[in-house]
Amino acid sequence: MNKKIPNFIYTNQFGLLCLVLIFTLIFSTSTDGFTSRFNIFALSRVIAIDIMIGLAMMVVILTGGLNLALGAIGVCAAMFGGWCMEVLGIPIIPSILLMLGMGSFLGWINGIITVKTGVHSFVVTLATMSIYFGFMTMLTEAEAFRRLPELFTDFGSAKLFNKYVSPLLLVSVATCFALFYLFRFTDIGRKLIAAGANPEAAELSGISVNRMFIYCHMLSGFLGALAAILLTTRIGAAIPSMAGQLGMDWLLPAFLAPVIGGTLLSGGKLSVFGTMLGAVLVTLLTNGLYLLDVGEFWIRFFLGIILLLAVLLDRTREYFTLKSVIVS
Amino acid sequence: MNEFCLEISSANKSFPGVKALDQATFQLRKASIHALLGENGAGKSTLIKIITGVHKQDSGKLIINGKEETLNNPNDATKFGISVVHQERNLIRRFSVGENLMLNNMPKTALGLIDYNEIAIQSKKWLKILDLDIDPNTLVSDLTVAKMQLCEIAKALSLKAKILLLDEPTSSLSPQESKILFSLLKKIVREEGVSIVFVSHKLEEVFNICDDVTVLRDGQNACTSEDIKNLDRQKLVRLMIGRDEQIVKSTRKNQNTKDTILALKNVKTELGHKNINLELNRSEIIGLYGLVGAGRTELMKCLIGQDKITDGEVIINGKKVTINSPKSALEKFKIGYISEDRKKEGLILIHNVLDNTSITVWSQIKKAIGFVSDGMISKKVDPYISQLEVKTPSNYQLISNLSGGNQQKISVAKWLAAGTDILIIDEPTVGIDIKTKAYLHELIIKLADDGTSIILISSDMPEMISLADKIIVMNNFQMNGIVENNHDYDSVSSKIMEYIHT
Repeated sequence: MNKKIPNFIYTNQFGLLCLVLIFTLIFSTSTDGFTSRFNIFALSRVIAIDIMIGLAMMVVILTGGLNLALGAIGVCAAMFGGWCMEVLGIPIIPSILLMLGMGSFLGWINGIITVKTGVHSFVVTLATMSIYFGFMTMLTEAEAFRRLPELFTDFGSAKLFNKYVSPLLLVSVATCFALFYLFRFTDIGRKLIAAGANPEAAELSGISVNRMFIYCHMLSGFLGALAAILLTTRIGAAIPSMAGQLGMDWLLPAFLAPVIGGTLLSGGKLSVFGTMLGAVLVTLLTNGLYLLDVGEFWIRFFLGIILLLAVLLDRTREYFTLKSVIVS
Repeated sequence: MNEFCLEISSANKSFPGVKALDQATFQLRKASIHALLGENGAGKSTLIKIITGVHKQDSGKLIINGKEETLNNPNDATKFGISVVHQERNLIRRFSVGENLMLNNMPKTALGLIDYNEIAIQSKKWLKILDLDIDPNTLVSDLTVAKMQLCEIAKALSLKAKILLLDEPTSSLSPQESKILFSLLKKIVREEGVSIVFVSHKLEEVFNICDDVTVLRDGQNACTSEDIKNLDRQKLVRLMIGRDEQIVKSTRKNQNTKDTILALKNVKTELGHKNINLELNRSEIIGLYGLVGAGRTELMKCLIGQDKITDGEVIINGKKVTINSPKSALEKFKIGYISEDRKKEGLILIHNVLDNTSITVWSQIKKAIGFVSDGMISKKVDPYISQLEVKTPSNYQLISNLSGGNQQKISVAKWLAAGTDILIIDEPTVGIDIKTKAYLHELIIKLADDGTSIILISSDMPEMISLADKIIVMNNFQMNGIVENNHDYDSVSSKIMEYIHT
């Protein structure tokens, strides 16, 4: 049997890469300071977090679901970590592990409710978003943790590669590779994708779909916590409003990256590096427009338009994956 | 006046990489039933899609009632009185029969609200033409499959259809139900002057009701509007597949092993099965025969743990067991289930050949930290893909791009790769062309000869009688009786029918 893998040229990722290059070119010629060391460093820190948020949403979109509680989970994990480090004085590494555990736990709750009730994750996570965030605000009394260990916050301001790149970006890129490995080269990753694509068929083929869906939600919580850790080291404090009211500031970048990147909203198809490029593109656009002195509200307007376009793209993508049935 | 109400002459249609129709010609006489035959991939569907305005031919003429017309979309086709009844049901299950019939043409009151009385009156008229004694207020979901099929036809007629396309209308009907359908079809042709294009893989039916035959092979006409009287089964098959039919004779090495591998004792299920007793020996093929809705598929789904068995014993290899899920059925007890609905439950259409064939073996072949590469998968499943002669340009082709027969081969291949001891095969040849069907029959026999125990669900009586060693007749979620199969069609089929009606 001859192997034929589609040429890279025809892939969504290649298209995204071209867009990234084009916008880089446009912004670097039309604005001052886009290519400055300071701006590139700042970009790399923002991109790192947006990639992670995008990945966290991607793994739930894989099931054909959504995780609206993503931001709330992130903030909860951050505040929990702040409490561990500042109040309990737990060392950094165990604290980080605890934060990741907290994220996974909250994701697990989303997963178990979704699977057991059969209610769409949209509704479930809409509810848990409110619950998690409310609970967190109650416990912390909306107070921030600002006296985090120096070593922890230093990581967020460290500069690598001739001071151009933040180490946060390396964490995100490494996470991309890890997820790519998971979905491409492990049995569990393949099962996650199969369960998302056609739950009935996957179940009858001996995959326990419910468990896979719970794993996806846990992974989403884990990655959400990881994003929150990066954000906490970047701002140097754990603040209840770090992701906006109810953590909703994360939602737009969370959807944009995977949908632009080629993850099918109906589930069963994903692109890890597409999500990465999607996050890069969105951050680049936002940053470039800021430098062009486009107002904050206009930028939101543009991002909304981009999301709509991306969803349209998703529809056509679905159409072409299904309707490519030609002769029967 | 032209005697043809629909004519397609020298139509060509190409899709990327495939020439689906090559100078295809089709002529439908007024008030006749015309069989459109061909194997999967021969171009039937494309031709139908051109007639119904889904696709446009690249070249060639489409002539309706003597005038050349262009159909841009399915709505245009409806305007010319062309209506199609698909294999898949197109009724809204939670609406009533009347609402479904009048859906495109809802009668309204003066205030613009829907006039339910009028719906009942009008829809009754159409139901009466088909001798259907159904209250228009019945929900579609409460109807039997056969009645749904008839409602679809009633709906098509209500759209003033003069040309009716029926795509495998009997694939989920019992022989009696088919008979009723056929007499009704003849009636509407005679009394309403409707012309029917009839697509089916069952040649008996074609000889039973059709007047003319058009056969397509590889997108070309193997015969055009031939009078059915000039053809016999042999000739027809030769036209379709280009050679003589190879009749599968059950050449089982006699399998009288008394090595019971699976036994069900007084099993009850949450779906309503009662008193199910069944014994399956190694290398045996047991058939489950019954009408649609007899509870055969449901029983098997309970067996593999998809739904629950509430009482009684399941014994595998002499040990009493509980099977909680299809996962444990596969991994602990090596039971596989090939679904009747390959698109919904069997395959993942948006994934490729390799992923679909290997879904059952990932757990088996993984290495440390769950590592599974495409190479390892190919090594495991390639032998089965080539053994089954699956036609695909590559292992990376999407399943949705394969023809029905090849899709079915993949849904079989994945269970061969899994290496099951007990294989449940549910309606393996529905909508499958003759060549692939014969091939699958041979394969099932070979599997059993090689030591797999098989439970075969089929509504195709000839298939059942040529394959099964013994046939269990089910009705209404119970077992009515067991027929020892001596492969003599007449005696066995009459015994089966007796049991169905007890």
